[in-house]
Amino acid sequence: MSEAPNNQVLQIWQSQPVEGMKMSTEAIRLRAGKFERKISRWYLRETIAALVVIVAFSYFFAKTPQIPLRITWGLFIAGTIWVLVQLVRKGKPKTIPADMGRSNCLEFFRSELERQRDLIKDVWTWYLAPLVPGYVALNVSFAYPHPIGWVRWVLLDAFFVAVFVGTWKLNQRAARCLQRTIDELNAMEPSH
Amino acid sequence: MQESSISIDYLDVRAIEAIGVSEGGTIPAAASAQDELYHEAAATYGVALERLARAYEADPDLRRDLLQDIHVALWRSFQGFEGRCSLRTWIYRVAHNVGASHVVRQRRTRSEALVGLEELDRLPDANGREEMADRGHALDRLLGLIQRLKPLDRHVILSYLEGLDAASIGEITGLSPGNVATKIHRIKTVLARWFQQGGEAHE
Repeated sequence: MSEAPNNQVLQIWQSQPVEGMKMSTEAIRLRAGKFERKISRWYLRETIAALVVIVAFSYFFAKTPQIPLRITWGLFIAGTIWVLVQLVRKGKPKTIPADMGRSNCLEFFRSELERQRDLIKDVWTWYLAPLVPGYVALNVSFAYPHPIGWVRWVLLDAFFVAVFVGTWKLNQRAARCLQRTIDELNAMEPSH
Repeated sequence: MQESSISIDYLDVRAIEAIGVSEGGTIPAAASAQDELYHEAAATYGVALERLARAYEADPDLRRDLLQDIHVALWRSFQGFEGRCSLRTWIYRVAHNVGASHVVRQRRTRSEALVGLEELDRLPDANGREEMADRGHALDRLLGLIQRLKPLDRHVILSYLEGLDAASIGEITGLSPGNVATKIHRIKTVLARWFQQGGEAHE
């Protein structure tokens, strides 16, 4: 194979025009601070959203005299709190890690993919499942005292089951795709 | 760059506290060493980092953001630099890792599938060789080719284009020497098929 075209490509690559961007350390610190603020805003947004839901459910909880409905709203409140805690633990945006230079590209890329895989594989257990008891209780406590026709309930339940199962299946598929890439990376390690 | 001219008066207080700047405004020795390393890295490898950012992001605004993220990551990383590897290896690792994160993030919004080096030859574009007499066009084509690659293959081809040897590429990417050799061989084949020397006739 002739090296000449390759050498020319290398030359074209290395001599391409660049803007010559420079950042002062003050500007760097400012941008690093922006990352921290972005995360604080994320926490605030998620907490406010959860609080709005909790306040609404608490209102229904306080207003209803019926025990089954109270249990329903109580379960929804507990589920929402659980989701919020898990969201903060698992879903928060990542800051730029300070130890990036310690990991080679293969290790770093694999850990990024593993983090994403675990997040989406388990999403069912921490994002959807905590709200299921409340939904089941709503079915039981609302359908029986206020029958609006079993067909409507069946259709509504079928819709929610389809959404839950569909979300779960999509996530499992995405997790499998990530796992395939992780396996490819594992095969490239020096030990293999 | 506009941001580089921002006055110290407007610095984010928490960001300053995070690196331990005292009330009197003096920067501790550790932070000063970190700054020095960063300046050295930016002066020596700033241009290479710009080329690298270009290979990870085609959109000029997003690319500028990415390049700034690389600089922030580099600066932050020097808090923990202990000299166990060369400064060059450290810098390229950080830059490629930020680039890979960017690619992973962008995949959620961009539909075009990324390919490996071995798949590049099977792409329709590989049928036509680029005449390198038109350097601008050849560079665009090269960037288009790189931006279609999966992150790890992108790391290898970029390191190759920056003129790094196989051992350095292995140290940066974590690939085995055999894998690096195979990938470099593929890169040479792909480049030879996609580009031809200026003045030669098309096949």
